[in-house]
Amino acid sequence: MDEDLLSRYNYDSFVPEKFGPWLNFENSPPLGEPAPDFPLWTLDGEETRLSTVWKDHLYTIIEFGSFT
Amino acid sequence: MNAIAERYADQGVGAVFIYTHEAHPGENYPHLTSMEQKFRHARDLRDKLGVTRPILVDALDGACHRAYGSMPNMTWIIARSGIPVYKSDWTDANSVENAIQYFLDVTARRRAGQPLVPFRVERLDYRTRDREAFYKGLERNGPKAVEEFRRAFG
Repeated sequence: MDEDLLSRYNYDSFVPEKFGPWLNFENSPPLGEPAPDFPLWTLDGEETRLSTVWKDHLYTIIEFGSFT
Repeated sequence: MNAIAERYADQGVGAVFIYTHEAHPGENYPHLTSMEQKFRHARDLRDKLGVTRPILVDALDGACHRAYGSMPNMTWIIARSGIPVYKSDWTDANSVENAIQYFLDVTARRRAGQPLVPFRVERLDYRTRDREAFYKGLERNGPKAVEEFRRAFG
């Protein structure tokens, strides 16, 4: 695990110098090209993949966020 | 967003929520330091905030979230082929539903035999701003979250 990345990504304070670098939508993957795939975990701790989810449906709506 | 998921489920539309990092960490929901804590916060999202869609937890380093632009509350729509057809840097139910209706119509036209080719479009959508509700949400996280947001944006 990259401890520096972990602490920068999971920043402890909402201050511009900490959250600003993560607002990177302009460099996100383009529409129309294959989407990047990643492992994800259900709330039961079972590992799955994003591609497993999107293959299950005609279209999949994916919202990103957190409690806060 | 829960209502949209329910409304279109029988038309082949799936919906998931990917748990990322704490955008506004506070005393009640501090920044994440372990997967155990991340699962706990994600369960609270389901149990206390009522997210009924399946919640999937990203890795602690946000590998998936970062690859998709790491905005705090963005939404993407991905087709079964693995091709993203919609992305929005903020989540707005009206915008998402409008897009889903469009893509379901594309599917119907394709099934009817229309020869369709994709093209790119950019559009500026609009959402309702509700500062009062937003601050109420921040209060759940703890006073630190309220104060830091006020300091950053007023």
